[in-house]
Amino acid sequence: MSAAVTVNGRVHELEAGETVERLLERLGLGARYALVERNGDPVERAAYGSVELAPGDTLVVARPVAGG
Amino acid sequence: MDDVLTIAGREFSSRLITGTGKYETFELMRDAVAASGCEMVTVAVRRIDLDAGDDASILDFLPEDVLLLPNTAGCETAEEAVRVARLARAGGLPDWVKLEVIPDPRHLLPDPVETLRAAEILVEDGFTVLPYMLPDPVLARRLAEVGCATVMPLAAPIGTGRGLKLRDSIRIMVEEAEVPVVVDAGLGAPSHAAEAMELGADAVLVNTAIARAGDPVTMARAFRLAVEAGRAGRLAGVMDEQATAQPSSPVGGLVTQP
Repeated sequence: MSAAVTVNGRVHELEAGETVERLLERLGLGARYALVERNGDPVERAAYGSVELAPGDTLVVARPVAGG
Repeated sequence: MDDVLTIAGREFSSRLITGTGKYETFELMRDAVAASGCEMVTVAVRRIDLDAGDDASILDFLPEDVLLLPNTAGCETAEEAVRVARLARAGGLPDWVKLEVIPDPRHLLPDPVETLRAAEILVEDGFTVLPYMLPDPVLARRLAEVGCATVMPLAAPIGTGRGLKLRDSIRIMVEEAEVPVVVDAGLGAPSHAAEAMELGADAVLVNTAIARAGDPVTMARAFRLAVEAGRAGRLAGVMDEQATAQPSSPVGGLVTQP
C-alpha cells in the first residue's frame, strides 16, 4: 500500500516529499484561510511550505467560520 | 468626546463588539458589521468540509481594520479550548481569543473551573484572553489575576434575547472590576444594551439580536446608537431614583393663587 495521511478523518494518498502547502493545493483548498494541525500540534502558517508530511500523519484542516 | 476603550493596550472607539454567526448571507453580515461601527468581531473555527469545494470565506467579507476575535465555541474542556486557540493563532489569526468552555448544550452555561484553567494556560502562552463567564465577581477577580484582558459576563443565556437577567451580579462586577467588563450574550433589544452601558459595562457583545432581526443592518445601527447613548448616560451620571414625586415646575407663584 502506498503512503497515506489522514485528513479530517479521511485517508489521502501522500506524494513523496509533500508539504502542507502542496497537500492543501491538491485538496483544492486555498492555503490562505486554512488552519492546520499535524499529529495534534498546530502548524505555523510560515512553515506550510516547508513542513514535509510523513506517512501515517493525522491532519486536521480547519478555517474561520461565522460564529458568536 | 475622547472616550476610548482600551483592551490589552489596544484602543477601540466603538464599545460594541459583534458576532458574525446566524446571518442569512455573508453580504448581510458585512453590511451589518459596517452599520454597527464595531471594531472587533468574533469568528468560530471549524473543520473544513473537504467535499464542499472551495466556497467563499467569511474573511473575504470582513474589513481589514476590524479585529478578528476567534472563539473557542464548541469546546467542553480547557484542553479543547487551548487546542483551538493555538490552531487559530498558528494559522495566522490574531493571538486574541474569546475563551468559551461550555459543557452544557441545553443552557450553554460556561464551566468556571475549566475556563479559569484554560485562561491560565493561554495567558502563559502569550494570548490576549477574553473569557466568557457567568457574572460571578469572585471568578472575575480570579480571571483578572491570572491575566485575562477582560471579563465577559452573560446577561442571559446565549441566544435568548432576554436582557440583563443577572443585573445585580453584573453591577457588582462593574464596581469591583480590574479589567474591562464586556456584557456578552442574552441582550435582545437595543434598550438592553443601553441598560448594560448605563450600569457601567465597558462594552457589549451582540450577535443573535442583530443577525436575527427583521432588518439586521438597521438593527446594527440601532445597537450602535444604544451603546453610545448608554455610555454617554453613564458618563453623565444617571440621577438617583426618588421614592416620591418631585415637581419639575416652581411650586410658588401660581397664576391661580388667591
